[in-house]
Amino acid sequence: MRAKNNNGMGWLFASPYLLYGLIFFLIPLGWSFYLSITDWNLIAPVFHHVGIDNFIKALKSPGVHAAFFVTFKFMIVFVPMVIASSLIVALVVHGLPRFKGLFLIGFFLPYLASGVVSSFIVKGFLSYNSPVNTFLRGQLGLDINWLGTPLSALLLVAVIIAWKFTGYYALILTSGFESINQEIYEAAAIDGVNGWQRFWRITLPLLYPALFTTLILSIGVTFGIFTEVYQLTGGGPNFGTNTWQMEIYKQAFQNLSAGYASAVALIASVVTFISIFIIRKFLEMWGKRNGWT
Amino acid sequence: MVGHKKKSLTIRYIIAFLLLLLMVFPYLYMVLNSFADWSQVDRKLIPTSFTLHSYEWLLGGGQSAEPRPWIRAFFNSLIVSSGSTILMMVTGVVVAYALAKLQFRGRNFLNNAILFQMFFPAIILLVPTFLIIQRLGMYDSYWGMILPKALSLWAVFMYTNFFRAIPDTFIEAAKLDGASDWQIIFRIILPMSKSITIVVFLFLFMERWTELLWDMIVVKSDNMLTLNVLLSQMFGPYGGYPGPMYAASVILTVPIIILFLFFAKQFKEGMQFTLK
Repeated sequence: MRAKNNNGMGWLFASPYLLYGLIFFLIPLGWSFYLSITDWNLIAPVFHHVGIDNFIKALKSPGVHAAFFVTFKFMIVFVPMVIASSLIVALVVHGLPRFKGLFLIGFFLPYLASGVVSSFIVKGFLSYNSPVNTFLRGQLGLDINWLGTPLSALLLVAVIIAWKFTGYYALILTSGFESINQEIYEAAAIDGVNGWQRFWRITLPLLYPALFTTLILSIGVTFGIFTEVYQLTGGGPNFGTNTWQMEIYKQAFQNLSAGYASAVALIASVVTFISIFIIRKFLEMWGKRNGWT
Repeated sequence: MVGHKKKSLTIRYIIAFLLLLLMVFPYLYMVLNSFADWSQVDRKLIPTSFTLHSYEWLLGGGQSAEPRPWIRAFFNSLIVSSGSTILMMVTGVVVAYALAKLQFRGRNFLNNAILFQMFFPAIILLVPTFLIIQRLGMYDSYWGMILPKALSLWAVFMYTNFFRAIPDTFIEAAKLDGASDWQIIFRIILPMSKSITIVVFLFLFMERWTELLWDMIVVKSDNMLTLNVLLSQMFGPYGGYPGPMYAASVILTVPIIILFLFFAKQFKEGMQFTLK
């Protein structure tokens, strides 16, 4: 009797998720599969079934090739960058006897910035007549078109996003540092362990869980880059910053190829899912092999 | 030895302060440039001559330009972000309560479904979600922006983990006293969840306030644009007027910073708990 009652209450309280999961997950998921085999253009009432044509077209398209590689380029640049910067912040801040909380809150502030705003600031800061570029031209004879080459544009977007996430990840790493028992360091000091050994043999292994979290989070970020790229480069120059989200947005809402965009989104999802799965496994293996987990 | 320690500590404080200055420099640059004389915007590292011209131009329009609905956009953002965040918090608490504290058949299945969906790449849902909103007649409306973001899997996940740590004896005792599940949520669970509630609230609100992609595709008319989208649309056309763009950036950024600083202490405590 009581169990039956509870069943009802359980499903009642879970019903917001059931409703949401149906309308904003299951139905769109099925719809997406269906759209991907049509040539629908988002507006016209008429469309045709085209089988796997969209997928063939996508696999041959330079935009999709670019998205595939750009994501990994962002990963190679952004992940070490943000891990290094947040590690530096955490290393500097975690042992401070006073104002530690205040510093951490200060470092967290960039997380509040809209990508539109940070893109705009960077664009202004690096505009042709900005103090930085005037200095580079006048003193060093360097005339850099920051958003004009694929590499510098990619680096710039990576820096903007690293700026945003540094304080957040530093917060995670700081709490990782704090979970390390100080007595271990004292014992190691008695045994004559030097600074470098101390970092590799003690700090890193004990920090590994927090480091793992920030690595997974930052890798996840690279698969969802949109705002900064949309704002600064539109995916250019020469597809140099064309992320999956950018490609899908362009195809669906600028070219109005809803069918084709769905096929690209499907490919993007599969690539994202498999990549994150493999990277995760690799990181876990790396941690296990070193005996860190 | 003691002197050496003190000295190295001073150096660490100086390094920490310089790092912090570097990190908040973009904000300082934004604020100073929004008040800078137009001849100095993006021309000086630190402007020296200040004016309110950018704000006047932004809100009143220049001689050649119509003013854009910045104030209206600010309130649109406020309505959309608050509505969405409140719904995500309510649905988060209610669903998490079921998953953590109610025994029912299918609970494990739901837990797994939520975890699966959390790690599912959401990009595949963009186009069909747009079509659903359109079919529901919510294109170009507040509901169109709020409803697809009325439930956050992350909030459900966070609350579920937190509620699991609350001992069942509290709840059983209340049930013996005849309390309903709603009363248990409001009188027992929520008062014990203040720190995590502040963390969840801040993250959800910040994320919603700075959303671009969805708010951009689901809204058409000028009067419905959120501040972030309006700013994004003005990015190119206002290229020749960077001063007002900095002013608009300040209007978008400062409220969220004030909100965050207001709750900063509780946020720090709550984060310490969630990161454990």
